[in-house]
Amino acid sequence: MSLIIDGLLAILAIYLALQSLLAPRLTQSVFLFFAFGLALALAWIRLAAVDVAITEAAIAAGFLGVLFLDALRDFAPRIPAKNEAVQKQYSKSQTKSLFLPRLTLWAGLGLFLLIALEAVWKIPEGGGLTAAAGTLLPESGVENPVTAVLLNFRAYDTWLEMGVILIGLLAVFAAGGKMAYRKPGVASQDPLLRQVILFFTPVLFLFGAFLLYIGKTGPGGAFQAGVLWGAIGILLHLGGWPFIALMPRWLGQLLLTVGLGFFLVLGFLFMAAGGALFEYPPAYAGILILIIETLAAISIAAALSAIFALLNQIGEEADEIESTT
Amino acid sequence: MTIVELITVIFLVVGCFFFLAGTLGVLRFPDLFSRLHALTKADNLGLGFIAAGMALHIASPWAALKILLIWLFTLLASSSTCYLIAHFQKEQDQLKNRKEGE
Repeated sequence: MSLIIDGLLAILAIYLALQSLLAPRLTQSVFLFFAFGLALALAWIRLAAVDVAITEAAIAAGFLGVLFLDALRDFAPRIPAKNEAVQKQYSKSQTKSLFLPRLTLWAGLGLFLLIALEAVWKIPEGGGLTAAAGTLLPESGVENPVTAVLLNFRAYDTWLEMGVILIGLLAVFAAGGKMAYRKPGVASQDPLLRQVILFFTPVLFLFGAFLLYIGKTGPGGAFQAGVLWGAIGILLHLGGWPFIALMPRWLGQLLLTVGLGFFLVLGFLFMAAGGALFEYPPAYAGILILIIETLAAISIAAALSAIFALLNQIGEEADEIESTT
Repeated sequence: MTIVELITVIFLVVGCFFFLAGTLGVLRFPDLFSRLHALTKADNLGLGFIAAGMALHIASPWAALKILLIWLFTLLASSSTCYLIAHFQKEQDQLKNRKEGE
């Protein structure tokens, strides 16, 4: 019975991925991508990786979906407005120049498939490092093996991941310039939307805090909590409270970097004390991990909502330029 | 099969029926407003029945409370989203009509 469910889920995920790539209209692609993200989250649950499932649902289906919807709003009115001759010319020049990128893409995809096949082929018997992680679990300061690996044994990787999010934000800064960041968003006039957002804000905050705390013993943690808190920022921005744009510059910068910065300073302090990078003393590991996770969640939330707010405003500015010309 | 299990199965089947009806409505109804109607009304009812069935199946008061909360939040989110989409469509239609009128 479970084999049938797993098989159907696998087929569904691949089918949705293909449909999302091949759909003739951008709107269809985006909504199929939502469905694909949720199918993938279900697949992770079937694999008993609830941590990954929450992250997948929150980031891939939730945050990326919001970004895609926002991009869709920017694309939608423009493509049919252009006259056909221009569009044809555009697509012609596009097909010519696309040869090299296509070749690179296919080569990369082939390489990735080969690596994935090799990884599946060479899955170590007996679960690889699971036993090693299990024996060291009491020293890690947490009871959830996933959190122990992410924030203690392989803290370096997590630290780099947070850096990746920050670099993403920097790229958006570079594309949009600093002016867009300072410009307050257009307030939403819809009273119902504002009420619903006001209702959901404390609920999301509470649920994020719960996920953050529960990460010690069960599925949850900084990334999941960060995305939920980031959702608060996005909702408030959409409801007409652009607090990210109104925030003093130093405060925004502090919120964005506090997770990465604290993590790094702590890591080097341990090195100075004679240990390795991110080698916490077992006695304080639990509380240190909780502090790191809280600050990381704050930074992730700030970065995600800033990315959304910036892209949203870049789109609005482009609209204004379009309407004036 | 105990009476609780029987009620659980009935709830789940009724819930699935409403989901199926809602999906059929989305696929078959002609315009956005009636589709929204089918999606939000029927699916919320279906989710309610499935939530009730699952709460009976798990049979723990805390889990039942959590499931009830999930249902209520989904109700709130889906009905407000329905309103927002319908509102947007109405504004678009009005804009269109005005342009055609000119």
